[in-house]
Amino acid sequence: MNEIVMNNEVIVYLLSETLLYILLFIASIVTVGVLKKWNFNHFTTEQFTLENRSYLVMTIILFAIVLKIILLPYFVYTINALSDLVPGAMCGAGVIKANAYGNPLLLIKIVILFLSGLWLSINHLDLKAKCYPYMKMKSWFFLFIFLLMSAEFLLDILYFTHIETTKPVSCCSVIFGQTAGVNSLPFGLDIPKLLTLFYLLFGLIVLTILSDMAWLSMVASLLFGVVAYYAVVYFFGTYIYALPTHKCPFCMLQDHYWYVGYAVWGLLLLGIFFTLDNALISSLFHRKTERVKKISLLLLGLFVLLCSSYVVVYYLKNGVLL
Amino acid sequence: MVILENISKIYHEGTPQAFEALRAVSMKVNPGECVVLSGVSGSGKSTLLALIAALDKPSRGKIVVNGELISKLPDLHASAYRAKTIGVIFQHFNLLESLSVEENVIVPLIHSGLHLSTIDSMAKKSMELAAISHKASQEVKALSGGEKQRCAIARALVHEPELILCDEPTANLDRENSLKFIEILHALQDLGKTIIVATHDPLFEGLPFVNRVLHMEDGQLECGKNE
Repeated sequence: MNEIVMNNEVIVYLLSETLLYILLFIASIVTVGVLKKWNFNHFTTEQFTLENRSYLVMTIILFAIVLKIILLPYFVYTINALSDLVPGAMCGAGVIKANAYGNPLLLIKIVILFLSGLWLSINHLDLKAKCYPYMKMKSWFFLFIFLLMSAEFLLDILYFTHIETTKPVSCCSVIFGQTAGVNSLPFGLDIPKLLTLFYLLFGLIVLTILSDMAWLSMVASLLFGVVAYYAVVYFFGTYIYALPTHKCPFCMLQDHYWYVGYAVWGLLLLGIFFTLDNALISSLFHRKTERVKKISLLLLGLFVLLCSSYVVVYYLKNGVLL
Repeated sequence: MVILENISKIYHEGTPQAFEALRAVSMKVNPGECVVLSGVSGSGKSTLLALIAALDKPSRGKIVVNGELISKLPDLHASAYRAKTIGVIFQHFNLLESLSVEENVIVPLIHSGLHLSTIDSMAKKSMELAAISHKASQEVKALSGGEKQRCAIARALVHEPELILCDEPTANLDRENSLKFIEILHALQDLGKTIIVATHDPLFEGLPFVNRVLHMEDGQLECGKNE
């Protein structure tokens, strides 16, 4: 058993994931059974039993999904904490790159976060109605998410059992390329273009949300997610670290930077999620989503404000930009 | 209108302790009717009322109240249905002993979103109807059994439900208070309320305002004759 798996944070994380996976595994088996025989128009003992069972199982899924969402920041915290054990790693960037499973694991976790959030919204709509109109849809959707969760669980195990504490890894200074002295931004973007795109896309999201252009706001928010990632790593991050050469999405999650990374990435992910959720729920289910709209505008607005404030404060303090 | 179609209720289903409390009961209660369900303890009267009040779900069958399918109502909607449509009067009153009569009566309106002055006037109206206004500020624990029952009636009426369900309402009352209760019930029927009373009290037999008396035995309506 290696040092990593015996680490306190990893034990807590893997144990929690295992327990939740067992719960979700049982829920998936019951869901398959419910799906096979579900017919809301029947008034038989079997159908009543299925309705009671599905209510229980959906409550279990709801509980497990909410906990899994909470586990995502804990996972990030864990990999940051492991940087003390992995030679060469200064933050989570090095740890996540410690083997080939890290990046796919992080990616699948973010995808599951978005899909789980959407499942919660559909479940909410279903419970608000009187005749379980989305029962079958949300059950199939859960089974699909469960497949991804199975892959995630496998990656969790593979990732944590394959981190070596004797082999040095590269960290953010190498990964994000400031030592190479080349432009690491995609599509030939430079910082001014990146920032223009960042604020334009934010403006477009606000405009499309306010004018109920669901699909356009969805596309804009997905693009914004990508652009915002690069903008934070290659521009706003340097103001958080107050160092023009320090480009890393993980270091800002550490205590030296008041854990501000959790707020930055949390606001971005949640803001994009609520924008997508608003677009999908209003266009696919024809529901009014005024509250979701306000939440998405608030979260993305706070994200942009938080990022921009680091630049403004730095300029006000020092009279120059980095 | 209350419609029950082929309602069965099995407790502890699928276990050796399985018990069929209701067996394929079908009945219809028209708006403004007063129906008495009579029968000995354990005949299924209370179970039937609990199902109509959406406090429990049947094992099979259909319950429709005012056009709404009750037997499959999710819990969230069942609470809203009870808050809007149903007033229940229990054998053991189920009052909050440390609160005053008026406070108990107001309880069902706490989440109604109504203005305080409206809540106050609704509470006063229902207490008058239940003849308990004179004890409005008194704590429930200091009331007699009959007064507690009238407080429970006022609470059941405060949100102006269309359907009133009474589960053994006179079981804990003396004859005098039982007769008072029956008078109030009569007054409610005159107001157009639909009333279903589950009781084994002989006082309810032959009352002029009662439209029908249905006898229950072993979870079935009299002689297994469903309506």
